[in-house]
Amino acid sequence: MRHILEKFCTGVEIIAGVLLGLCTLLIVVSTAGRYLLSWPVPDAFDISRLLIGACIMWGFASVCYRGGQIAVDIVWELLPRRGKIVLDLFAWAMLFFFTVLLAYQTYFRVASAYRSNEGTFDLRIPVWPMLGLIWLGCAAAVITLLFAFSRVRAGRDLGQHQEPFE
Amino acid sequence: AEIELTLSHWVPGTHPLQVTGMEPWAESIKQASNGRIEITIYPAQQLGAAADHYDMARDGIVDIGFINPGYQPGRFPILAAAELPFLFENAKAGVAALTEWYKPYSETEMADTYFCMALSHDPGTFHSTSKILVPEDVKGKTVRPANATEARFVNLLGGASVQVSAAESREVLAKGAADMTQSPWESLYIFGVDSIVTHHLDMPLYASINAFIFNKAKLEIMSEEDRQVIYDHCTPEWAEKMSSGWADAEAAGRDKIAADPKHTLWKPNEEQVQMWKDAAAPLTDEWKETIRKAGGDPDEMLNGLIEALKARNSYAGE
Amino acid sequence: MNSGDLTAILGFLAMFVLMALRVPIGIAMGLVGVFGFASVRGLAPALNLLTTSPFRVVTDFNLTLVPFFVLMGVFATNSGMSRELFRAGNAWLGSFRGGLALATIAACAGFAAICGSSVATAATMTRIAVPEMRAAGYHDGTSTGIVAAGGTLGILIPPSVVMVVYAYLTETDVGQLFIAGIIPGLLATLMYMATVRIAHGKALPAGRRFDPREALDSLKDIWAVGLLFIAVIGVIYLGIATPTEAAAVGAFATMIIGVARRRLDARKILDSLVEALRTSVVLYTVLIGAMLFGYFLAITQSPQKLTALLVAMDLGPYGTLALILVVFFIAGALMDEMAMIVLLLPVVFPVIVKLGFDPVWFGVILVTCCQLGMIAPPVGINVFVINSIAREVKLTTIYRGVAPFIAADIVRLVLLTVFPAIALWLPMTMR
Ligand code: NA
Ligand code: NA
Repeated sequence: MRHILEKFCTGVEIIAGVLLGLCTLLIVVSTAGRYLLSWPVPDAFDISRLLIGACIMWGFASVCYRGGQIAVDIVWELLPRRGKIVLDLFAWAMLFFFTVLLAYQTYFRVASAYRSNEGTFDLRIPVWPMLGLIWLGCAAAVITLLFAFSRVRAGRDLGQHQEPFE
Repeated sequence: AEIELTLSHWVPGTHPLQVTGMEPWAESIKQASNGRIEITIYPAQQLGAAADHYDMARDGIVDIGFINPGYQPGRFPILAAAELPFLFENAKAGVAALTEWYKPYSETEMADTYFCMALSHDPGTFHSTSKILVPEDVKGKTVRPANATEARFVNLLGGASVQVSAAESREVLAKGAADMTQSPWESLYIFGVDSIVTHHLDMPLYASINAFIFNKAKLEIMSEEDRQVIYDHCTPEWAEKMSSGWADAEAAGRDKIAADPKHTLWKPNEEQVQMWKDAAAPLTDEWKETIRKAGGDPDEMLNGLIEALKARNSYAGE
Repeated sequence: MNSGDLTAILGFLAMFVLMALRVPIGIAMGLVGVFGFASVRGLAPALNLLTTSPFRVVTDFNLTLVPFFVLMGVFATNSGMSRELFRAGNAWLGSFRGGLALATIAACAGFAAICGSSVATAATMTRIAVPEMRAAGYHDGTSTGIVAAGGTLGILIPPSVVMVVYAYLTETDVGQLFIAGIIPGLLATLMYMATVRIAHGKALPAGRRFDPREALDSLKDIWAVGLLFIAVIGVIYLGIATPTEAAAVGAFATMIIGVARRRLDARKILDSLVEALRTSVVLYTVLIGAMLFGYFLAITQSPQKLTALLVAMDLGPYGTLALILVVFFIAGALMDEMAMIVLLLPVVFPVIVKLGFDPVWFGVILVTCCQLGMIAPPVGINVFVINSIAREVKLTTIYRGVAPFIAADIVRLVLLTVFPAIALWLPMTMR
C-alpha cells in the first residue's frame, strides 16, 4: 500500500515538474517569436499564466504530501516529542480543512467557466479545460494530504527541516 | 442605516467615475430612502480582482459590482454587440440607449444578478510607443486591448494581446510586455501611462462597456419601498448622469494630449478611416456567428441597438 | 474604535495563535481571512472568496516570474556554478588576510546575481565555503556568520523573489526595483568585506600566495554566471523584454549551459523542475493566504483608518518612517520575512506613499529590513538553514558570528535613507 501511495505522489510531482518545463518552453518560444520573428504567439499570455496556475496547484499537491510549508516553530521547538506530534496533527487538520474547502469552492469556478463559454482573448479557446487542470491539482492535494496523515501521526515529519525560500 | 450596501470597483478612488458618478448616485439613493440605504464604496480592487467582479456580486462577496464584461471573453455575448467598433457617436446619450436596449436581454444573459445599468466612456482608440496610423501598424505588435472584442480585432490585424485590466496597464507597458494600449484619452493620465505611449491614433475607434450589477439575494431581502428606490436609480437617465462627468473628463484628455509637444497625434484621412472600417468588418460577422450558434437572432439584436442609439441621436453610422 | 476595528484585531490575534500552533502561515492567514470575512459579510459570501481569489493568484501574470527565477537558481546550483564562483573568488582575493572570507562574500554576491533567494544562496555557500574555511583555521562563528550575511545578498542583488512579491503587493514596477538593487548590492558586498576585516582583523588567518595563472584560469569557469546576469538583467534594464520573459529565457539558458557542459542530464533537469516548483508553491501559498486576509482587512476598513491615524500622528515623514522601521525590526526578528511583508506592507505602504517617499526606494529599504531579519535572533531563517546543514555549529555560535553584520546592515540602512540616490540613480537612467 505504502508503495502505491509513494507512486501516486511521485506521479503528481512529475506532472507538476513537466508542466513547469512546458511553460518555460512556451514562454521561450513566444519570446523568440516576438523579438526575433516579429510573430507573437497568439494567446501565449493567457495560456502561460493558466499553465503556471496548473503547475502551482499540482506542486501544492506535492508539497502537501512531502511537507515544507513555512510555519513558525517557536512553540513547537519547546515541546516534547508527543507534544510536537499533537501540534503537527493540528496543523495538518487545518491544512486539510482549508484544502478541502478550496477544492470544493474552486469546483464552482470551473463549472461557471464551462457554462458561460469563457474563452481566451486571442483565439477564444475555452478556458474551462485549463481551469479544470488547475482544479485537478487541488483535488490531488486533498488525496495527498490524506496520505500524509499517517506519516504525521507516526511522527515521521519531525526530523525534516523546513525549506524556506526567501 | 438599515441597509448597508458594499459597492466594489477597480478604478482608483479619485477616478471621475467615482467622484462625479458613484458618489452622487449613492447620495441620491440615501436621500430617496430617507437614509435607510447607505452605500460604502471600495475602490481599486480592494475586495477582488477586476475580472472577478461579476462573480463577486453574484456570490454576495459584494452587493454592487462594477464590471467590464469584456474582461471575460465569450461570457456575455449579447452585451458584446456594444463593443463592436463604430457604433457610438457619444457616450452620454449612448449609454442611456444601451441600458434601455440591454435591460430585457440581461434577464437571460445576467440572470443570476440584477442588471442595473450599462455604461461606456467617450470612444477610445490606440495609443502606442511608435507611429500608429493605419491597420498595418498593429501587425507584429503586442497590444493591451480594452476588451475581448478588441482582442479579436488585434488578432485579426496580426498583433497579439496582453489582456490585463486598465488598472494593470501601466505595468505591462512600462515593462515592455505591451507596445500599445487601447483606452479613452483621459485614462492615459488616470492610469499613469501618458509618459509611455506618446503616439496616438486620432479617431474614435471603439467603446468599452461597463455595467453596475446587484446581488439578487440582497435586493430580495429589502422592503418593497427600498427596492423601488434602487429600481429608480437603475434607469437610462441615471446611466447618462453616471457617465457624464467621466465622458467630459475623457474628452478633455484629448485636448491635453494634443497640446503636449511630447505627443504625436496621427489623424487618418478618409481613405485610411475606411481601411480601419474594412479591417473591423469581420468582427461583426464573427459576433453574428457566435449569436447564431447560441440560437439567437443577431440581426434583430444589432438593429435593436442601432435603433435605440438613433432614437437618442448617438449612432455613429448613417 | 468600532466593531470593524475590533473584528480586525481579533482576526490578527486568531492568526497569531494559529501560526504559533504551527499551522503554515499561508493557511493561517487564509482561514482567518475567510472566516473573518464571514463574520462581517456572512459565511456563504466568504466561502465564495475561495472560488475566485486563489485561482486569480496562481494565474496572475505578474507572479509568473517567481518560478522561473527560482528555477534559474536551482539549475545553477545543480550544475556546480556556486563552487566555481567560490574558487574564482579565492583565486583573486585569497592572498589577502582573511582571503577565504572575502572570497566567500564575493561568491555569495556572484551567486546572488543569478539566484533570487537568500536562503538558497546561504545554503549552497554553507556546503562549499564553511568546510574550506574550517580547514584553513577560521573560527566556526566567523565562517557561518559570513555565509549567513552573504546569503542575504540573494534578495538584494537582482533577481530577487522578495522584490517580486513587493512589486506584486504594491503594483510597483519590478524591473525598476531589480535595477535599484544593483548599487546597494555592490555597496553591501563591499561593506560586508570591510566588516570582516574590522571585526576580526588579526584573528583572521593569513592569505596564501597570489597565482596569476590560477586567477586567470578561474575566469574561464565563471563566464556562464557573468553572461547570464548581464543577459537577464541587461534585458530588463534596457526594457527589451519583460522580466517574465527574461526569467524564463534565463532559466532555459542556464539549463542549456548545464547540459552543454555535461553537468545536467534528464534526471537532474526533472529534479530541478520539481525542486523549483516546490519552493515556488510555498511562496504562492503565503500569497493566497495574504490576499484572503487582505480582503478581510479591507472589508473591516481598518487599514484605511490606521493609515489615517499614522498620518495624523504628525511625526513628520522621517519620524513616521523611523517608527515603521522599528516595527519592521521587531517583526523581522520575530517572524518569517515573507510573512512580515504580506502582513505589514498593505498597512504601511499607503502611509509611505502619502508621506511622499518613492515606492522603488522603499522597496530597497524593505529588502534591507528583510536581510536584517533573516540573520537577527531569535528567528533568523538563514541562521536556521546554516545550522541545519552545518549541524556541528551551535545556533548561539552562528548568532555571535552575525552580530558585526547586523551593525553593517544598520549603517547601510542609514546611508540609504540619507542618500536615496544610492538606490534610485540607476533606475532613473532606464527608459
Ligand atoms: Na539575487
Ligand atoms: Na527573523
